[in-house]
Amino acid sequence: MIRRAARTLPAGLSAVIVLLAMAATAQALSVEVTTVQASPEGPSDAQLLPFRPRLRRLVGYRAFRVIREESRPCVWRNREAFVIPGGRLLHVLPKGMREEAVVMQVQLQEGPRSLVDTDVRLQNRGVMLFGVDPERGTANGVLIIMLKAEE
Amino acid sequence: MTCAEAERLLDSFVDAELPGPMLLEVARHAGSCATCDRAVREMTALRTSLGQVVQGELEGIDLSGVWPAVEQRIGRSARRGAWRRLPRQLPVWGTAAAAIAAGALLWFRTPPPEPVRVTHARPNQAVIERLVSSEGSRVGIMKDRKYGTTLIMVSAPGEDAGQ
Repeated sequence: MIRRAARTLPAGLSAVIVLLAMAATAQALSVEVTTVQASPEGPSDAQLLPFRPRLRRLVGYRAFRVIREESRPCVWRNREAFVIPGGRLLHVLPKGMREEAVVMQVQLQEGPRSLVDTDVRLQNRGVMLFGVDPERGTANGVLIIMLKAEE
Repeated sequence: MTCAEAERLLDSFVDAELPGPMLLEVARHAGSCATCDRAVREMTALRTSLGQVVQGELEGIDLSGVWPAVEQRIGRSARRGAWRRLPRQLPVWGTAAAAIAAGALLWFRTPPPEPVRVTHARPNQAVIERLVSSEGSRVGIMKDRKYGTTLIMVSAPGEDAGQ
């Protein structure tokens, strides 16, 4: 009986782990991070055309190009790091849902230094932006990080 | 009718429990038979004396305290019965009373519902609940009124120095 239990135990444990993993994936949050280079002039990417008016109003530049795009499911209360060009990282820690909004901690890190660390409540499927000032003057434009969260 | 037949019927004859024709036959036999007649008379005398004794005994019994005592016992029994029934009825009544009390309490204590404010959250609405920036860096928050998009603009100290 003990031998039979010992044989069936790993299978049972595996099944439980698989089920837990499936449940965790099913409840995961989808986070999309798009890094956009905003420039004073030049062409804009077609996929950014819907955002162009608001980007222009907020940032003041005319041309917008996607330089990096990453989307991945994030497990609740699990910190995920998204690579941002220029040696930066965007850490996202989804905490939960509140009033149809995703509550998360977002930290923008540059090397060892944390540029900004914030707790935000973003409307589900909404987009918020992080802007990083240009490295060599305003002539090169700014870096825009578009963060979208969807449960 | 023989004496043996009459003897078996004498008790019933004395008590006048026999049907009419048989009663007459016993009476005729006793009228013609001295032994049976004597037996009838003795039995009647015994019955009469017994009746008198019982009557005397009954008259000597004081029944005045019986009914009050019976009433008292009945009342006690009824009260005991009521208490015994109470635990069985208590859950039902208790539940009903508790439900009514809770309902009344909620009715009187629950504040009237606030009017529901119908607000449509803008699709990109973001609420900044906490914001910490590194020492020396400048952080600005901008919001697009039309789309509700929030922008957190960060400028690091090293970048400013280059300008």
